[in-house]
Amino acid sequence: MRYALTLYRWELEKLTAQWRVRAVFGVAVLAPWLFVAALRLQDAVPADTLFGRWVHLTGFATPLVVLVFTTQYALPLLISLVAGDIFAAEDRYGTWKTLLTRSAGRGAVFAGKALAAGTYTVVFVGLLACSSLAAGVVVLGHQPLVGLSGTLIGGGAATGLVLAAWASVLPAALGFAALAMLCSIATRNGPAGIIIPTMVGLLMQLASFVNGVDPLRHLLLTANFEAWHGFFTADRYYQPLVTSAVLSAMYLMSCLGIGYLLLHRRDFTEG
Amino acid sequence: MVKRFGAVRALDTVELRVTPGTVHGLLGPNGAGKTTLLRMLLGLVRPDSGTVRVLGERVVPHRAPTGVAGFVESPRFYPYLSAQANLDLLAGLDGRHASVDTVDELLARVGLAGRGADQVSGFSFGMRQRLGLAAALLREPRLLILDEPANGLDPAGMRDMRALVRELAEDGRTVLLSSHLMAEVEQVCQDVTILSAGSVAYHGTLDALRDRAPAPAHHLRTSDDAAAGAAARGRVGIEVEPHRHGGLAVRAETADLDDYLLALAGAGVTVRALAQTSTSLEQLFLAATGEDG
Repeated sequence: MRYALTLYRWELEKLTAQWRVRAVFGVAVLAPWLFVAALRLQDAVPADTLFGRWVHLTGFATPLVVLVFTTQYALPLLISLVAGDIFAAEDRYGTWKTLLTRSAGRGAVFAGKALAAGTYTVVFVGLLACSSLAAGVVVLGHQPLVGLSGTLIGGGAATGLVLAAWASVLPAALGFAALAMLCSIATRNGPAGIIIPTMVGLLMQLASFVNGVDPLRHLLLTANFEAWHGFFTADRYYQPLVTSAVLSAMYLMSCLGIGYLLLHRRDFTEG
Repeated sequence: MVKRFGAVRALDTVELRVTPGTVHGLLGPNGAGKTTLLRMLLGLVRPDSGTVRVLGERVVPHRAPTGVAGFVESPRFYPYLSAQANLDLLAGLDGRHASVDTVDELLARVGLAGRGADQVSGFSFGMRQRLGLAAALLREPRLLILDEPANGLDPAGMRDMRALVRELAEDGRTVLLSSHLMAEVEQVCQDVTILSAGSVAYHGTLDALRDRAPAPAHHLRTSDDAAAGAAARGRVGIEVEPHRHGGLAVRAETADLDDYLLALAGAGVTVRALAQTSTSLEQLFLAATGEDG
């Protein structure tokens, strides 16, 4: 465990030293403000998006619109930028042999890297959530939010529900991170580790729009990005959240399990 | 231990005995299994069958053995981190803390004094070799495994590296040094193992190897090869035969060769070129590995 924590600390140092990670965090902080500024400059609203019609009326709609948009199109890519490369980078630099000829075993190396990728995912989602909430409330105000049942949700409750909604996508986001790590280990190629999970995310999104595959739809990781809808109804329901957590945990454990086995069994004959 | 890659048997029942406190040379042509053996000793490659024992302990497959450090092929580091940061990370993975003083001392020992704060991306190949040695020494190993450590170094750097390797052995460390340079092995090693096609072709002291070695080979060009060949007939200590690239292939020790050349002059045969093509040990190495043509 000591070695895993040492490696975890170093992985975080390595990540923060990379311009790509800094750029993604910069986007997470700045993009919601730019989005709100763009909304202020036009009368039209993204009415097709959940809570989109309320974006001019309350700042609490902003983080929810950003949440819908991000989970539909961008989250798998933004997560995979780090998680999909964190193992393959060692192949690119030829540093596996440098790491694995020390006392820390492969399990510790795997755990340190997986923890670092998970931390990046949580921090990224947290930054985007806080920034979009702050941008909405500061620029558009903290008027009550109209819930999905038409009831008004006051400012304090809305803040809590918005943050809870963002927190609810974390299990699925971590599931995608695990999938990206598996691709990174299996392909030993950074671009493949980024592109494959992104394409899988888009395909899952497309599949969820197809009628007739409803039982299958619930098994898709992207379906879990909608588990928070129950927070904004008059009679709140949490079953999708529980299902999402269980399914995401299954994705997480199976991807990490297979990834660990691949790394554990690998002969390092090159580099 | 046995290791196969597909149909290729990379290693086949290899046993190495390395005397503590000595530098042991590991030689072999490309594909002989040297790198696979070193990777196995460092825990990077798992044997298909058999067990690896180092320093009296069984090496757990895919786990770096205790007391062993080194590098195989060229050492690699994170280019965007400084030399100090790279060594800090590696020390942490050994459960140690590398103080600035310790790192400075190590870097000075390998010829990188004052470069600790520099990013590795700016290091030359030779500097990375030196940093690789520093990283290995940071682990305070009893057995140091070095794969072509003088690669990429200038002549002065090669000399310093060889001196350092000898010094490490004098300090009590055991060094297993893989090289394709016979001259390097002759200068640094006491014992040697020659691998060929995954098996041990020779294992013993360098002195014993020298005793078995044939005379050095030379390529001789003369004004009259037929007469030169005839002059060699009946002479003791000299073997002459047609060279595949023209001229004559001559095997002889220095004294016998001198006598032979004087005899050629006496017979009116002009020597137009004489070049040593291999040393005694190289001759034996080529014979042992079946590469002497």
